[in-house]
Amino acid sequence: MENNAIKDVQFKRYLKLDILPTPWCPGCGNGIVLKTICQAFYELNYPLQGTVVVSGIGCSGRSAGFFNLDSVHTTHGRAIPVAEGIKYANEKLNVVVVSGDGDLMGIGGNHLLHAIRRNTNITVICYANEIYGMTGGQVSPLTPKGFRTLTTPAGNPDNPIDVQYLFKGTNSFFARTTAYHLNHMKKCIVAALQFNGFSFVEARTMCIVNYGRRLGYKNSNAMLNHYKETYKINDNTAELAPNEIGMLKTGYMQSDE
Amino acid sequence: MSKQLLQGNQAIALAAEVAGLSFFSGYPITPASEIIHDLANRKTIKVLQMEDEISSLSAVIGASLAGLKAMTATSSPGFSLMQENIGLAHMMEVPLVIVNVQRVGPSTGMPTLPAQGDIIQCIHGSHGDYFPIVLYPNSVAELYIHTISAFNAAEESLSPVILLSDGYISHLCETITPASNVAIKNRERLPLGSGNRHFTGLSHNGSLPKTFDADNHRNLISRLREKQLHVAGQYNYYEYRKCRKKTDTLLISFGALSRVAYHFNNDVSLFRPILMFPIFDDLRHIAAQYKNIIVMEMNAGQYAHEIERMLHREVTLIPVLGGRINLEEIKNALSGVIT
Repeated sequence: MENNAIKDVQFKRYLKLDILPTPWCPGCGNGIVLKTICQAFYELNYPLQGTVVVSGIGCSGRSAGFFNLDSVHTTHGRAIPVAEGIKYANEKLNVVVVSGDGDLMGIGGNHLLHAIRRNTNITVICYANEIYGMTGGQVSPLTPKGFRTLTTPAGNPDNPIDVQYLFKGTNSFFARTTAYHLNHMKKCIVAALQFNGFSFVEARTMCIVNYGRRLGYKNSNAMLNHYKETYKINDNTAELAPNEIGMLKTGYMQSDE
Repeated sequence: MSKQLLQGNQAIALAAEVAGLSFFSGYPITPASEIIHDLANRKTIKVLQMEDEISSLSAVIGASLAGLKAMTATSSPGFSLMQENIGLAHMMEVPLVIVNVQRVGPSTGMPTLPAQGDIIQCIHGSHGDYFPIVLYPNSVAELYIHTISAFNAAEESLSPVILLSDGYISHLCETITPASNVAIKNRERLPLGSGNRHFTGLSHNGSLPKTFDADNHRNLISRLREKQLHVAGQYNYYEYRKCRKKTDTLLISFGALSRVAYHFNNDVSLFRPILMFPIFDDLRHIAAQYKNIIVMEMNAGQYAHEIERMLHREVTLIPVLGGRINLEEIKNALSGVIT
């Protein structure tokens, strides 16, 4: 227990505590992901100097500025290619991208495809809240079909992207986790950071103010409960069912077996 | 170095290496592709072909922040795609060089033919106020020299410097003697991974985003503007050829067209800006000696408007559109203007 207590304090060295609070709404899940990333950094003993965080635009994009290390807050959708430039310029750096599903799969979708193709050795943590939260709550590439948002008042007519399939048959790493499954999220992020190649963690996180409340959730705890009841952990699988979270066996890992 | 026969685009690549380039990313486009072809064969330079011009400039920004001298090269349509990240590079103060080998637009236009249609895009293409340094050589030898100038200006100003060319100059082959003992400016800022700085496109004070502070934003923009003007002053290159006869007319042209203008030096004086932006007072002093100011350019009057704005007087425009540079046509156009 004592050990955990120390750990609980130690991860804070990765944060600029003096500039808190974050600009996020009450009930937002982004802080959970931010904290878990720092815990993963601590677990791997990442050096403050030698680690770089890059973000795009949106609520999650603002998290880069709270890391107590060099960070870059880029244009909308362009975090991945900026991070790739950093990594190719200095391979010794640990380069981590933090951004949202709209940024990474909407406006930046093409860059994601090609980063997977190039298998650049960077880690992407996607704060997947299924909505464009910063701009008020518009449909995002991960919004499920039928869900109401400001731009789909009659329900989203389209299917969301199932990101895992972008990774099928590639040498890159994919994991899905949620803000409820804290230990699992940390495990996924640690595995992604350790992976030698392109790694992507889709961290489902809740946006109550501009998404959940319009869907009938009473508060953000109700959304966390939804994750708890919906998702079962299935690590090391070839394919995740819609109600499963876990790490995908990549082509690389399969060929190693 | 000894005499070499080089194409304009090759001279850019060679000069970039001399200036210390170590990272290049780009996307294929006519008539700029020879630059990436050439650089891909140079062992000291990391070359990445990206999925588009947006990611090309993104990667260049990343590499530059990580401490390398970085460059991208494109043509007009690709330059349009780069605009958002040009604004970012100004806001984050990232030194880099963008080569824009202009071709006929709008849109896909006439891909293999030269134009000068990106003059205003250079200074107002991205949203908000920023004050770029823009250079435009008119020969292979000058492309070599001013590629190096562009790198040095970028390092001094910590900003993206634009090196303009056009489909004509860049595909021209000329013999040059590349100077090797040129002064090279090196990076002073520490690379990424050595502190806890936050580089952001948001209005900011140091590492702190400031999204509601008008005073802070005004200070930021005026600091950036002063810095750009200060550095640009050291790169205030231009060519002024006074007519030997007495003349009332000053003909202003640049890039490919300025080579045609030399033919008229017996009748008019010539002014050729190499530093296109910012425009300094030298031009005002020179122009004061002439009654007629003519601007000849391969667009519908982009630089002419800037000159009018700068001189507070009317100038005559000779637009040369569609990539066709014909001496007789230009002679006729000029004879209608020169009295």
